[in-house]
Amino acid sequence: MQPPYHHSIEPDWQRLNLIGGVLAAIGIVGFVVALGLGEDDRVWQSYLVGLLFFTGVAQGGVLLACGYYLAQGRWTRNAVHLRVAEAGWPFLFLSAVLFWGLFIGRDHIFPWIAHSPGKKAAWLNVPFLFSRDGIALALLAVLSAWFVRISRDRAALRWATEPTTIEMPPVAIRRLAPLLCVLYIFLYTMLAIDLIMSLSPLWHSTLFGWWWFEMCFWSAICASAFVAANFASLLGAGNAFDNPIVLHDFGKLVFAFSIFWVYLSFAQYLVIWYGDLPTETFFLLVRFWHAPWEAIAWLSPILNWVVPFFFLMGVRPKKSKAMLRTAALLGLIGVWITDYIMVVPSLSPYKLPLGWVELSITAGFLGLYLLCVAPGLRLAARMATSGAGEIE
Amino acid sequence: MSAEIAVVSTFANDGDCARGIEALHGAHVHDFSAYGPFPSEKVLEATQEVRGQGHRHSPVRWFVLLGGIIGFITAVVLTVGTSLEWNLNTGGRPVASIPPYVPIMFELMILIGGISGVLGFFLMSRLPVFEPEPGYRSRFGSDKFGLVVRCQENEAQKFETLLWDAGAEEVQREAA
Repeated sequence: MQPPYHHSIEPDWQRLNLIGGVLAAIGIVGFVVALGLGEDDRVWQSYLVGLLFFTGVAQGGVLLACGYYLAQGRWTRNAVHLRVAEAGWPFLFLSAVLFWGLFIGRDHIFPWIAHSPGKKAAWLNVPFLFSRDGIALALLAVLSAWFVRISRDRAALRWATEPTTIEMPPVAIRRLAPLLCVLYIFLYTMLAIDLIMSLSPLWHSTLFGWWWFEMCFWSAICASAFVAANFASLLGAGNAFDNPIVLHDFGKLVFAFSIFWVYLSFAQYLVIWYGDLPTETFFLLVRFWHAPWEAIAWLSPILNWVVPFFFLMGVRPKKSKAMLRTAALLGLIGVWITDYIMVVPSLSPYKLPLGWVELSITAGFLGLYLLCVAPGLRLAARMATSGAGEIE
Repeated sequence: MSAEIAVVSTFANDGDCARGIEALHGAHVHDFSAYGPFPSEKVLEATQEVRGQGHRHSPVRWFVLLGGIIGFITAVVLTVGTSLEWNLNTGGRPVASIPPYVPIMFELMILIGGISGVLGFFLMSRLPVFEPEPGYRSRFGSDKFGLVVRCQENEAQKFETLLWDAGAEEVQREAA
């Protein structure tokens, strides 16, 4: 039995919007100044990394909500889990627009434009790549918005809150959620091939697409867990997040999908190790065994697996706000680093460009993401502090 | 001195049974058996709560840990040991290469850890039991939950009241 709700504290949403606005402005200024200083390569590489990371978090969140419905996850405590996961959907429309920025910087990103990739040119050419990826991002944004709209409807909420009288989620959810999942698998595999793997046109790994979209999904779990752990403290006593069971749910998800990530990573590594083909091994050697990249590359498995695995192994740490918040935040940093080391070493193998250009553009993306996610978080906070957010 | 008996209570659902366990715990009674037709989290939580009050956690976890360590060491000995014994050079790689052995080490760790956990469970639960314990009813394996308290006959009345108050459908006495 939950303690009755006593006292709600309204977070300072104006402040969150202000921080988002300031960070976005920093990003825009950094972007313009760096282009003015002739740092085009660094600008467009960071732009791609930022786009991949924040699009992955936003889309992964919608998929997490789909997963709750498909798995009949009524343990999601009167839908507060769902509201947090879905919150990033408006960023998907922004990312579908920002994607076209890559068209402007394409010569600084895709090496196969200057050097023909041979028979791969049938797939890797500018008109085909931008049209298929642009359509994919727009389609996923529209379907995600549609899904979230239905998910926030009263009928879906009643499914979550009235397990004794309503057996299945609304029909529209039952149709749309599987469709979104299948499209996500196909289209994010395609995006991983086009926007990451094609930067090293000679390299290929059949598992790469799966590995990347699973990481996007995990980054959304980390983002949700981070928000839940913060809301547990911020929203006052008795809010739905201030409950060890809810934090335990998020902790278990972070822990489990972190293990799945390392499982897929090792599965790829083992095949490359066995084959020992120069066209496959160079991709890992540049990143993990040669300076300057090895220094930062090992942070990826450490933050994405070692930290969550050992931090969150026990029940008590999963229920601890501080531990969950720390592991989730480090996981998000780890995913950003992973995206960074997947993209940049392909274009700059002997130099590690990490300075004000990269930080300002990443801050810009973070600012834009915060501005997009704030209304959804506000809704989640309201549900967590109202009667509807209470649990049995 | 009064004789030892078993107070057998029957519950319609796991919630009432859990309340019965908590009531017994409140009366500082820990020598009882709980039965149910399926594993119930409510009953488990109530028993853990009882255990948490100065009573030890299940020792089965130590069997799993020990089995996992033994499994891992066995896999290291099996893979590295046989490689060094046969000394085959495959594609110029080191004779004892770790990456392909990782799945074997992982799988054996899980396998031996799991088997050891099951054996530990049987050992610590004193299973199998061929003769039902006094107070056991066949319905506890089909549609009812049950609590059996072993006590002296002169204390039985107190426990019967406790169990009725917790929501028992039926409370009976039986020779222990």
